[in-house]
Amino acid sequence: MNHQTLEVHHDGPIGWLIFDRPESGNAIDAAMFTELEAAWRQLETDPKVKVIINTGNGNSFQTGLDVEQLANDPQALRSASRQTRDFTLRMTSWHCGVSKPVIAAVNGVCAGGGLHFVADADLVIASDSATFLDPHVSVGQVSAFESIGLLKKAPMEPVSRMALLGAHERLSALRARQLGIVSEVVPSAVLRQRATEMATAVAEHDSGLLRELKQMHWNALEVP
Amino acid sequence: MTYEHLIVERHGPVGWLINDRPEVRNAMNSAMRDEFADAWTELDEDPAVRVIVHTGNGRDFQTGVDVSELASDGIGMERYRQSMEDFDVHFTSWHQGVWKPVITAVNGICCGGGFHWVADADIVIAAGDAQFFDPHTSVGQVVAVEAIGLIKKMPVEAVMRMAFMGKYERMGAQRAYELGMISEIVDPPERLRERAQELGETIAKNSPAAMAATKKALWGALEAGLTDACKQGAEHLVSMWGHPDQTEGPKAFAERREPDWELLK
Repeated sequence: MNHQTLEVHHDGPIGWLIFDRPESGNAIDAAMFTELEAAWRQLETDPKVKVIINTGNGNSFQTGLDVEQLANDPQALRSASRQTRDFTLRMTSWHCGVSKPVIAAVNGVCAGGGLHFVADADLVIASDSATFLDPHVSVGQVSAFESIGLLKKAPMEPVSRMALLGAHERLSALRARQLGIVSEVVPSAVLRQRATEMATAVAEHDSGLLRELKQMHWNALEVP
Repeated sequence: MTYEHLIVERHGPVGWLINDRPEVRNAMNSAMRDEFADAWTELDEDPAVRVIVHTGNGRDFQTGVDVSELASDGIGMERYRQSMEDFDVHFTSWHQGVWKPVITAVNGICCGGGFHWVADADIVIAAGDAQFFDPHTSVGQVVAVEAIGLIKKMPVEAVMRMAFMGKYERMGAQRAYELGMISEIVDPPERLRERAQELGETIAKNSPAAMAATKKALWGALEAGLTDACKQGAEHLVSMWGHPDQTEGPKAFAERREPDWELLK
């Protein structure tokens, strides 16, 4: 399947989902909004794919909804609004019910809605140039799903701080590792290589077992 | 409003709530407990206050309930016991439903009941010489509410260690930072208030309404599982739709100026 805003392919047992709007910080425009669901489904249903790596082309990992572009596409905006209101979003692997292990490899700036893909991945590594910020409240928007996902998985205070400081502060890759938001920080040049090594190791395991493990861990987050 | 055991100040957009019983390391007696309820509400209802900083006068931040008062005055003890039993308490911003950002700035010792204000703040910073410990068990008491609040927000082992080690061990600011219990260490310690004010002014640049809704979504998430928390979060998110700040934010950004936010009502 061809995508306009994503690079999706597989290499042996590893499926790749790569944000490919580097000129716009890989922000999610109307096309990407639709393509994400199709891409996750494609990798989920491809029997050759055992593990998925999610990363970005260019200097940014993912910078959230491209609000300006969406505003020019009323139909897409309506659809995004409805999915937000009803929490029926289909942007991340968790939203789409992907049962295979997902590794996020954060290659640069991860801002706002980009944090969805960190919160919703199973494993997260980052390049030393990666930074994390949540500018929602600086432009009059609410931070909800991304922060909620993160605070269920990491200490809450730094997540609250990121949400309330908005565009005025960034979390470094090293601090994100200390806090357990990411588990490994590597030089940019070797990020994809390291993600591949990890994915290869994960793929050595029985697929059915991995699926059960994933479901068990995410189910545990459903308890208040 | 005037207070005997607290100081309430305003510096620009930042409201300050300062524990002021330094002679007893800011331990909370009955009167102070009642004053907390009023002070949080006063700052919350003042539209000029966008962010609240909470700290202590003297060497220490807070050392919990004033046990000497509880022990000597039969009424205080009974009243405290009853309010905790009913969980009808009003001394933190979370108890009082304050939806403005709250920064706790820990100076010196924070122990026992002092953790209420660490657990219930949005952001916690501490002076480099701050120390944390929980002596409840060493005086035959059970730590409950404040430890539960912390457990929801940080690694559990560290909280249990403090509960079990009681007065025999203290946690330094560095370890608290590593654990994500606090997000900043201020050195030299004397700079704590200056830094808290600076942080408050930075946060005050953000939309008050968007921050209030964000706070509701985040604190609500502690009460629910992940999917339910997101569904409730969606309600808070949608509550901002149509709010003037949602157009003002992007507009100010495009025009490269500071946004002119609506004040909270």
